[in-house]
Amino acid sequence: MDPLPTRHSLALRRAAFGSVPEMLDYAAQGQTGVSFHSARGERLSALPWKEVRERAHVMARKLIGAGFARGDRLLITADTWPGFFDAFFGAQYAGLLPVPVSIPVGIGGKEAYLDQLRRQFAASGAVAAVGLDELAGFLAEAAEEFPALRLHGGMDVLESLPEKPVDLRPLGPADTCYIQFSSGSTRHPHGVQITQAALMANLEGITGPGGLDVVEGDRAASWLPLYHDMGLIGFLFSPLAAQLSIDYITPRDFARRPMQWLNLISKYRGTIAYSPSFGYDLAVRRGASQVPADLDLSSWRHAGIGGDMVRADVLDRFAATFEPRGFNRSAFIPSYGMAEVCLAITFSPGGTGVHTDTVDRTALAEQQRAVPAANPDDAHSARRFVVCGKVLPRHQLEVRDEQGHVLGDRAVGRIFVRGPSIMPGYFQEPEASREVLSPDGWLDTGDLGYLLNGEIVVTGRAKDLIIVNGRNVWPQDIEWAIEAQKVVKSGDSAAFSVDTGEGERVVVAVLARVSGDEAKTELARDVAGAVREAIAVDCDVVLVPPTMGLPHTSSGKLSRSRTKANYLAGHYAAKPAAA
Amino acid sequence: MRTAQNVIVENDDATAILLRRVPTRGEVMAEIVTQLATFRTDDRHVIRGETVIAKDLAIDSLAVMDMVMELEDRFDVSIPMNVVAEIQTVDELANTILKLAARR
Repeated sequence: MDPLPTRHSLALRRAAFGSVPEMLDYAAQGQTGVSFHSARGERLSALPWKEVRERAHVMARKLIGAGFARGDRLLITADTWPGFFDAFFGAQYAGLLPVPVSIPVGIGGKEAYLDQLRRQFAASGAVAAVGLDELAGFLAEAAEEFPALRLHGGMDVLESLPEKPVDLRPLGPADTCYIQFSSGSTRHPHGVQITQAALMANLEGITGPGGLDVVEGDRAASWLPLYHDMGLIGFLFSPLAAQLSIDYITPRDFARRPMQWLNLISKYRGTIAYSPSFGYDLAVRRGASQVPADLDLSSWRHAGIGGDMVRADVLDRFAATFEPRGFNRSAFIPSYGMAEVCLAITFSPGGTGVHTDTVDRTALAEQQRAVPAANPDDAHSARRFVVCGKVLPRHQLEVRDEQGHVLGDRAVGRIFVRGPSIMPGYFQEPEASREVLSPDGWLDTGDLGYLLNGEIVVTGRAKDLIIVNGRNVWPQDIEWAIEAQKVVKSGDSAAFSVDTGEGERVVVAVLARVSGDEAKTELARDVAGAVREAIAVDCDVVLVPPTMGLPHTSSGKLSRSRTKANYLAGHYAAKPAAA
Repeated sequence: MRTAQNVIVENDDATAILLRRVPTRGEVMAEIVTQLATFRTDDRHVIRGETVIAKDLAIDSLAVMDMVMELEDRFDVSIPMNVVAEIQTVDELANTILKLAARR
């Protein structure tokens, strides 16, 4: 079995399609496609785009033949396997809206996963749900309370439907494309409505000159989960929009053997691969001892970073480790985006590598100004940020203060964006949509940052969102988990994250309504245990005397940002050793 | 006559001992405890069969994945993700590995 080619006989066409079916129709005329690789580096299967399309047509006739109506939602567990391609693209040609969702995480994760599935069923109104065979039981269990779900199980439940001689009814340029769950808390998930038009606009930006400027001979390699915007749009639709071949390993295999990601690039001469900073970190920490002698990363021309705060120290270490293997540090492309704009908002200019701006910590914290640091090498007084590039063509970006005034360079405020990639709203959630989208089309990203010569520097989040190893965790979910275990009562805990320089560390401040060292130690242990069990995140617990209380805003809401400020200022006692 | 039951095999990580025979419960437990030892929340804490992995130990989801895959390599089994998600305790994890190894 020869590897799928990098080059093809078609004229390179970068986006400029009306819909996902149109993109696939074009790419299917060439010879490129997707390959799935194992943790040990063997190629498991390969699907040329031509075959992806043929299989999708068969699937579409089965779905239409089974009576599914245009616009019906099909939930799919988005593991990296051919079944996902069959179900997703089949739905596109049948006029159904796919809803890609995650797979369970680790030991003891069943109940949390079922809970998440039920909320996603409810939020999407799905009428069918398919996934890996081994998840069929979970889908069935979660489906019990949802009589509207007509069909659920492994891929065999779709494959065994009869293929009827019906006309395809592909989704068109005016239609929605799919629903992306990746934002909002797990308790109240919001599905971003990804329209064909917004997706096409974003793909044009990603593959075009303001983005990755894809050329003939490019080839993508990815370990990113297909249930995240960066995996699905960045490493399925973007390569498809430019008729590229893609080499995949699963996120699980990457976590275990990060070197296989680099091996894929080396072996198949990949040119484009992305990861959040933590993936580069993992590749250095776990991979450095497994570097094969023939690893050659010289083909890699775009090493993108996105999905979490871009960390210059991590990228420096990665470059230092792999420069002897042909890695070119000017290939780094820091970028910024979110699911509400499909995926991408800004890209650093290609071929220039990482640019940083080192600012004074005090001016940043007290005046919200990014003043160049007097002593950039002193980590106590100076903070280094990565510059994440210019907004995509046809889009606008503004930084505003709390009163809504547009700010100039080096003034920190909320980042707002506008343009054709912006979502019309969260699926069937007008209220939540109005909270982030203004009538004139500006999206409040919830992120904080400042401009520097037209490029954005992201400094943090206005929202309380916590990101651990690339995973979004909402502090409310952590606090609810603690309350649900009846460890402390509602309002007695506040979760936030602190920047450790290496990543984010979750801290939970808890009112200690117990006395005695033993009881306090036990309380801290119970809180940490409840968080681990429900969210699978390790945290530090800090006990706050009830007399001190937790800070609240003027409207009486818990203030996590002030709790964090108090914690960082050392106003709370040190965490107990056993926490 | 061939008496050695353990075969040393080179893989891409390190030299691993793959047990060609079905491992004993003691071997599986010993390996799990070794893997989990670094995640104890307290040095005095003893890892027992009834230890609830996701709750009693300071282990996050990435480390859990890592440990499961390490055990899968060591005992040459593959634990389906739905089965992993239903495991709570060290005992349950050991039983799962023993059951899968016996079927091999």
